[in-house]
Amino acid sequence: MSDKKEPKSIERRRFLRSGMQMALAVSLGGVAGVSLLKSTSKDLVWQIDPFKCVQCGRCADECVMTPSAVKCVHAYDLCGYCDLCGGYLKPDANARTTAAENQLCPTAAIKRQYIEEPYFEYVIDESLCIGCAKCVAGCTSFGNGSLHLQVRHDRCKNCNDCSIARVCPAEAFQRVPADTPYLIKGGFTKGGNSEDKLKKG
Amino acid sequence: MNRKLVNIVLIVLALAIVVIIGKDFVGKKAGKNMDNPYEYNIDEFRKVDSTQILYTEKLHFPVKAHYWAGIAVSDSTIIVATDNHLLKFDLSGKQIFSKQTIDTATCVTVDENRQIWIGMRHYVVMYDQNGTLVKRWNSFGDRAVFTSIAVSGENVYVADAGNRIVYQCNTNGQTVQKIGEKDEQKGIPGFVIPSPYFDVATDDNGILWAANTGRHTFENYNQDGSLRTSWGVTSFKIEGFSGCCNPAHFAIFNDNSFITSEKGMPRIKLYDQHGQFIGVVAPPAAFSGSLAPDIAVDEQQRVIALDFERQQVRIFEKKKDGNN
Repeated sequence: MSDKKEPKSIERRRFLRSGMQMALAVSLGGVAGVSLLKSTSKDLVWQIDPFKCVQCGRCADECVMTPSAVKCVHAYDLCGYCDLCGGYLKPDANARTTAAENQLCPTAAIKRQYIEEPYFEYVIDESLCIGCAKCVAGCTSFGNGSLHLQVRHDRCKNCNDCSIARVCPAEAFQRVPADTPYLIKGGFTKGGNSEDKLKKG
Repeated sequence: MNRKLVNIVLIVLALAIVVIIGKDFVGKKAGKNMDNPYEYNIDEFRKVDSTQILYTEKLHFPVKAHYWAGIAVSDSTIIVATDNHLLKFDLSGKQIFSKQTIDTATCVTVDENRQIWIGMRHYVVMYDQNGTLVKRWNSFGDRAVFTSIAVSGENVYVADAGNRIVYQCNTNGQTVQKIGEKDEQKGIPGFVIPSPYFDVATDDNGILWAANTGRHTFENYNQDGSLRTSWGVTSFKIEGFSGCCNPAHFAIFNDNSFITSEKGMPRIKLYDQHGQFIGVVAPPAAFSGSLAPDIAVDEQQRVIALDFERQQVRIFEKKKDGNN
């Protein structure tokens, strides 16, 4: 009886030892592989392609953040600095003034500043902007399209399944590398950090 | 018993998964189709009273190209400049010739001798009526963006949206004077050109008119470059011009009335020589997209439009009784 048990005990011990070694090797290899993958692959974040955006209004209501992490940004080098700005004034505005009843933005997030005759500058107050794209529609329809939406990454939670992307009818949401997270119209990002320039705006 | 319980749990789980997937699918679909509570609605301004529409479309024909620069009319022929071709059609749409140009055109016109003038980005070329290259001017510099040409006798007026100025040149490309530079002493406000829409034309007397699109006005300049008169109405309404760059294109009939074409909410309208709104040639409903069609007019008071969105030449004629 004891002769028969001896070899079995040795088998089990060997099996356990080799199994442990194998598991250790696999886990170490796995950790090394994941680390390598993480160090070589780029992190991705969500962003809106402004040329695909159809100004549907979903960005204001579908984001998990309140207010939405999507904000209007302004490509100043595209802007016409118009007095009659389609992005600032309601189409039926009774005057070209800053009066509330003339403003297109439902939260008055666009500030109109006189520069010189006949030019006006339009600045977005991001704390008020809800990303509804009403101004984008006005600017795109009648102007140069300098106003456009972008996901602002100081607010975005970078959800794995972006709730706006799920319902975007134009499929304008896309994953972009985290080190170049903005798709700004025109030459706005040329020669510098887009984040800094946006904040100046 | 245990097996039965496991089966029931598995079935419930499977059903739950199906419900979740179905709900997600339906929810996503509904989300994509829901109304926009922030809709930018300009439908009210797109409506035009039918009694105001004075023209009707008589004919259209396709023009195949990747890019269209502009249109001009001479006698009974239509000239279209595309990315690298000069096309000539008769009024029925039959192509007379297609000639390759030396560069990408940005604008085109035809003079009284049927010579075809084409603006490239920063220089001008002239072709004879058969499409043979006759002249090429020197470059006006990298900053120049030529958007329109008008020829009257020995004067060639070239609109430069890059420098916001109109050059008056002789036919060899030598600059006679620059017109429209801001000069408060002379009461010239200066051109405000937010984008490359800057059209010029000459009236029946050979006098220059330029569209100051940032101000929504037409400005009329004397031979010496002084401002003679101007007119314009800034408004989203039918009688005005709106947006950053309107009127994007215009043409002048031989009775000195104006045909205008707008971008954003495309529409073609008719004004008398004093700028009084007369009526509509083509309402916004006649167009898709937001690009302003380039326009030309002939001596029979027809309006010939190059519709960039539909990629067609469209010919509009005045209604005979005003309602047909």
